Amino acid sequence: MLETRDLAVSYGAIRAVRGISFTVGKGELVCLLGANGAGKSSTIKCIAGALKAAGGSVLLDGADVTSASPERMVRAGMATVPETRDVFPDLTVAENLLLGSYIHRRDTAGNRENLERMHELFPRLAERSAQPAGTLSGGEQQMLVIARALMSRPRVLLLDEPSLGLAPAIVERIFEMIARLKETGLTILLVEQNVHQALSVADRAYVMRLGSMVLSGTPDEIRGASDLSALYLGG
Amino acid sequence: MAFAIQFAIDVLSLGGAYALMALGLVIIYGILRLVNFAYGELIMVAGYTMFLTSGSGLPWLVMAAFAVVMAIVAGIATDYAAFRPVRAKSVTAVLITSFAFSNLLQNAALLFISPRPRNVPLPAIFSQTVEIGGAITPIRNLITIAASIVLLALVAWLMRKTTLGIAMRAAATNFTMARMLGVPANLIISSAFALSGFLAGVVGILWIGRIGTVVPGIGMEPLLVAFIATVIGGMRSLPGAVLGGFLLALIDTTLNYTLPQDLLKFRDAFTFSLVILILLWQPEGLLKGPASGQRT
Amino acid sequence: MKHNILTAALLIGFIALMAVVTHLLGIRLYDRVVTNLMISLVLVVGLQTFMGNSGILSFAHVGFMGLGAYTSAVLTIPAQMKGMALPDLYPAMKVLEVHPVVGVLAGGIVAALVAAAVAYPLMRLSDAAAVITSFALLVVLHTVMNNWSAFTNGPRTLFGLPKATDMPIAAAVAGLAVVVALFFKESKVGKLLRASREDEVAAAAMGANIPKLRWQAFILAAFIAGIGGALWGHFITSFAPKSFFLKETFVIISMLVIGGANTVTGAVAGAVLVTLVYESLRGLEGLLNSIKIMGGQVIGLTEIVLAIAMIAVMILRPGGLFPSREIGHLITRIRRKRETSA
Repeated sequence: MLETRDLAVSYGAIRAVRGISFTVGKGELVCLLGANGAGKSSTIKCIAGALKAAGGSVLLDGADVTSASPERMVRAGMATVPETRDVFPDLTVAENLLLGSYIHRRDTAGNRENLERMHELFPRLAERSAQPAGTLSGGEQQMLVIARALMSRPRVLLLDEPSLGLAPAIVERIFEMIARLKETGLTILLVEQNVHQALSVADRAYVMRLGSMVLSGTPDEIRGASDLSALYLGG
Repeated sequence: MAFAIQFAIDVLSLGGAYALMALGLVIIYGILRLVNFAYGELIMVAGYTMFLTSGSGLPWLVMAAFAVVMAIVAGIATDYAAFRPVRAKSVTAVLITSFAFSNLLQNAALLFISPRPRNVPLPAIFSQTVEIGGAITPIRNLITIAASIVLLALVAWLMRKTTLGIAMRAAATNFTMARMLGVPANLIISSAFALSGFLAGVVGILWIGRIGTVVPGIGMEPLLVAFIATVIGGMRSLPGAVLGGFLLALIDTTLNYTLPQDLLKFRDAFTFSLVILILLWQPEGLLKGPASGQRT
Repeated sequence: MKHNILTAALLIGFIALMAVVTHLLGIRLYDRVVTNLMISLVLVVGLQTFMGNSGILSFAHVGFMGLGAYTSAVLTIPAQMKGMALPDLYPAMKVLEVHPVVGVLAGGIVAALVAAAVAYPLMRLSDAAAVITSFALLVVLHTVMNNWSAFTNGPRTLFGLPKATDMPIAAAVAGLAVVVALFFKESKVGKLLRASREDEVAAAAMGANIPKLRWQAFILAAFIAGIGGALWGHFITSFAPKSFFLKETFVIISMLVIGGANTVTGAVAGAVLVTLVYESLRGLEGLLNSIKIMGGQVIGLTEIVLAIAMIAVMILRPGGLFPSREIGHLITRIRRKRETSA
């Protein structure tokens, strides 16, 4: 469903991603692992359209969408949760969610239904609906960002480090929720540093190091790879 | 009592106009981080449109509406001529291009129309006066107050209740994230310029209504007012711009009433000194804008 | 350091060459144009000391130019003429009459003092707010000049300044301004300021008090502007407040921006280039007016062309003609490259 071929991303003269290729099948949960600075977030941002590709291509349902604008990617059925957890702090929770459904803004009935589902999935958001998003806790903000992304009714969800900086109990709940989303048939590309949690929900995984793909396989194969920690720690 | 009413009407009508001027400027800066030096020329465009259509025999309101539309068109044109090509570059580059564009428009008016003042058609009501509680005041002051209340309410409603307005507020904080939710960048940018042009057009008609003529440099004072009001109010806050506008009007009106005649000429200098004092105390302006945010 | 000396030598050499050629030609029109160019050079280089180092665009510069011009005027207009030129002048000052050199220096000092008094709070503002307030400051300085009749004769033309500026003097001051600007650029203040542009937080962490540094640069720029204004006053001998307003600001800023605000070389190149274009367009306007092609008066054409040129430069070459390196630096680099390749 989602595929990259020799994708490269640069910041000026610095090459953050050096030609990586991977695929995510329909309904699959694929995990992109790697240490800090491996190029995972740059990959996600590039797929989402927030960064221009320096080379290679991105395909969605077989169509070339390389360096498309972010708004076009959303309309094509992709939603992104960036690692920076960008809620709009001055907007209320309800307004944040409303913007999530921007591309369906004419379908009010569908949005209302979708909002109810989100409130079911994240009861805390229902309670804090009228509160500015900036006043939420880190975990609540993470839930809001995920719920907001889902409001666009995506077919593919890009999740960038959803566990970053959160308390273990909340991380647990976030991963439970990711598992539930997977059951609904949503295609998910998950970027994580939290290897064990990520592998517990993933169908397949890729490992990046210094901008290149160094390993791929099923969670068991990845766990079994003796040099995983070496790859991870850059040894 | 009559004096209090007179003073209140003066402050409110001047403040309403100032607030609208500042709001039109801060909408562009708040969302896009662009200082639009050519903002005053939108008012000029509205004025000259009125002048050029004055012989057409159309009803005044139609001419006024057309002038506002032309200001909107000029606002969007500013984006294409001065901002779009350099948006990715430095803050200074954008300031310079809009300053150059402002000069371009002014000199085009000099070259193709005239350096001399041109009459703008105004309905009779603009020059009539009315007595309220012993105070005699021009009706146009009351029109200005009413128009500013309606427009401020309209902008508040737009920004709070409509999806477009909420998307614009979101874009002011984090433009990229808004785009990653499917909000088209061009829609936001064009809407901001259109709204700015709309406010400039309306306030332009009210402003020109005070003097009845338009000259190429007509936009200078509104631009300056908008600049000072936004700096006082906080560069990126819409309520701040409105507050700054009314505060500036209060300062100006108070000085008008209290300064002796030979010092009144220096009113702008006194106002500016007060602004410097405000900035010594609050360098960020009185109200903070939305959190963080990057240039687009 | 070596290439700075080379830059200074080249720029001064260029200024001297223009002066000598103009002198040898002996054409009055050229002499006038080149004198104006030299004075513009002083002003543009002065603006460069602030804008090139702090990265903040200042619109107030021409206001300080006006302060310099009026200060020197009040001090140097012959006592017997003051009754006519400045009828409202305070009696104590009516007898005052100093040598133009003193007047010009006083012009610079007064401009610097006013800048020092008003600018500190403005230097604490963020980019955009600082630019906006500098614009407001220009308008306020203009208001004061327009209305303080005692000193300025109000909006009317002030006349009677002794004609003390000629082309060689203007060229000498221009050369001096170039040296000062280059020196300031390499001084501790200049270097810290430029470092703070790249990374404000890091520079502050190094102990740089950014508002204070900007303030110092602003005062220096105002001083140079004051000198330039006084110089111009003694060249033109009669002027009105409108000479120090938006039109002049637009020209000075276009010179700096087209040449490249970050370098003194750019300031010089921009001043020369824009003067050339300006004078030719003015000539064209005059021609069009004399043959009455447009029916009425042709005015504003020059400014329209300049505005388009400014926008084009910002799009195609946002740093201007000399965006980052001084001419001396460029030449040393080329020479070094040749040596290594040979």
